[in-house]
Amino acid sequence: MTAGSTDAAQPRLPSIRRRVARALLGWSLFAGLAVALAVAMAVQEEVDELLDDTLRASADVLGGLLATQADGMVAGRAPMARTSSGNGTDERFAWQLIGADGAVLLRSPRAPAEPFRAPHGAGFADTPHWRVFGQALGGGRLLVVAQSRTERAEARFEAGIHAVLAALAVGLLGYVSLRATLRHELAPLQTLSQRLSGFDPLQGSASLGGAERAELAPVHGAINGLAQRLARRVASERGFSAHAAHALRTPLAGIDAQLAVAQRECPPALLPRLTRVRDATRRLQQVVAALLALFRSGAEPQRQRVALDALVGRLPLEGITVQVQPGAVVDADPDLLAAALLNLLDNSLRHGAVHARLDAPAADCVRLHDDGPGVPSARRQALQAAIGDARYEGQTGLGLMLADVVARAHGGQLVLPEPDDGRGFVVELRLGASGEPPSLTSH
Amino acid sequence: MRLLLIEDDLILGEGLRDFLRTDGHQVEWVERLEQAEAFRGDPFDALLVDWQLPDGSGRDWIAARRARGDMTPMLMLSARDLLGDRVAGLDSGADDYLVKPFAPEELAARLRVIGRRRAGASQALLRFGSVQIDLAARAASVDGVRAELTAREWGLLEALALRAGRIVSKPDLEHLVFTGHSEVSSNALEVHVSSLRRKLGRDLIETVRGMGYRIDAPAS
Repeated sequence: MTAGSTDAAQPRLPSIRRRVARALLGWSLFAGLAVALAVAMAVQEEVDELLDDTLRASADVLGGLLATQADGMVAGRAPMARTSSGNGTDERFAWQLIGADGAVLLRSPRAPAEPFRAPHGAGFADTPHWRVFGQALGGGRLLVVAQSRTERAEARFEAGIHAVLAALAVGLLGYVSLRATLRHELAPLQTLSQRLSGFDPLQGSASLGGAERAELAPVHGAINGLAQRLARRVASERGFSAHAAHALRTPLAGIDAQLAVAQRECPPALLPRLTRVRDATRRLQQVVAALLALFRSGAEPQRQRVALDALVGRLPLEGITVQVQPGAVVDADPDLLAAALLNLLDNSLRHGAVHARLDAPAADCVRLHDDGPGVPSARRQALQAAIGDARYEGQTGLGLMLADVVARAHGGQLVLPEPDDGRGFVVELRLGASGEPPSLTSH
Repeated sequence: MRLLLIEDDLILGEGLRDFLRTDGHQVEWVERLEQAEAFRGDPFDALLVDWQLPDGSGRDWIAARRARGDMTPMLMLSARDLLGDRVAGLDSGADDYLVKPFAPEELAARLRVIGRRRAGASQALLRFGSVQIDLAARAASVDGVRAELTAREWGLLEALALRAGRIVSKPDLEHLVFTGHSEVSSNALEVHVSSLRRKLGRDLIETVRGMGYRIDAPAS
């Protein structure tokens, strides 16, 4: 049979592995981003809290120190306050001691000269450049500690980006791992496919083997059940075929033997008639033999390279001459092809043809063109449609049906093209491509 | 040739029997294996055996005959055409295998091949000195001149020619030539031997006193 040709015509099917892998990639990215966003938000919140706690702790420590030493430092004009001249925006941490009048009494070396905030403002507050925390000291003084907002943003960003990158990395690793798992888990399907390709249920010892996954066990069970039913049915058909062969072949042999005796014993005037009857019997024998071979379960056409002229030469033809394309060779089962051609030529003869031409346009095609009246185009198309759907009963004669069955057994089909010259009837036995290069025989 | 045909299909059995008889053979036709067993010990030139018979398998019957040392040529007739069946039939001991339906002319030709093989010749023409015997044409000639033989004379000549070089007893010759014919006189064999000697020369058929007759092996 010609599995290759049907494979070529089959559309590209969606792949389970590719589809699941794509879904995994999408979900991994989505999950990674979602986790990263959540982590980033959580980290920023925690970093903010941590930094605020740090400010508060710094204020506590500094406030304790300043509570005992601030008066002396202010009276002695502490150098750190006098020498500071920066605006403090490049400093990560700064502090100010603001007096009750709102003036800066003391400050860290790079703290701005202007107060961070009003002296009565204890607690947290934000300025354009600083995150500040005010803590009231005695005497209306206010200690303000401050962190650069740029530094806080940098800390939040670094913590967030690391969290996002880690989440994405985990998502990517998950994708790679799941894809490998998917490939591994789908491998039993490929194994099953390979086993099925070499599985012949008609071989008594053939076995599909055990399932590799629990999900495949029902498939194995269904296939094994199907194989057992098929084997039983084929065995039954083979038995029937053997009986049918005996029931058909033996009477045919008896008829021929009786006719052979009659030919020897008959008056000379009867001899031509008996000879014609015997010829017809031989043709019937060939048809029966071909049909029995064709319908025998499990039988495959025995394809060989067949020389058409030799094949036609052994056909019992009477009343029609056949011109064979010189050197024409086709790849076919010689017995089945002989039966098909015999029936097609019988058809031609019964429909008034006296001459036919036989060509082999290709190694898998035999073309018969007779000089009969042919059929109208509409009838030809109706015949072609019936043959295409294998609806023979009531649509086609035995000859076309048998020829189509032979063509189908070879993996092809019977085709009824329009005659090139518009005359006669044309039949093409398209046999389908062969699997292996055969050797030449002169059947 | 004297043939035993075992075939249960009446149309085929009768047709083959009559066809082979018109070809000059002595044919015993039976429909069952148990009937064939009644001929055990009778000399036959060939056995024609159907595979599928009402009381058993012709293939097994052939195998059993071979196991008993029966070397009679056997030809299997069968509707089984599969390669495995043909091989099994031949492996059972059959010398040849014909798939039904077959032309009786082909069966006759295959019997001639069996005959030639028994006579040790690869062709249908056997030469014994100046006498030439054509098994296919069922004719004999002396120095190129055709001898006119009756059916029984030919049957006798063929029986001896197919066993050339061996002594054939009188009872076996009578079985091979006269079975199935009524009204055979007690000295019919001697009469036909005498007639053959008259037509083909006195040296062709040798009388082996107390044992039978013999034709020397043909010239190679």
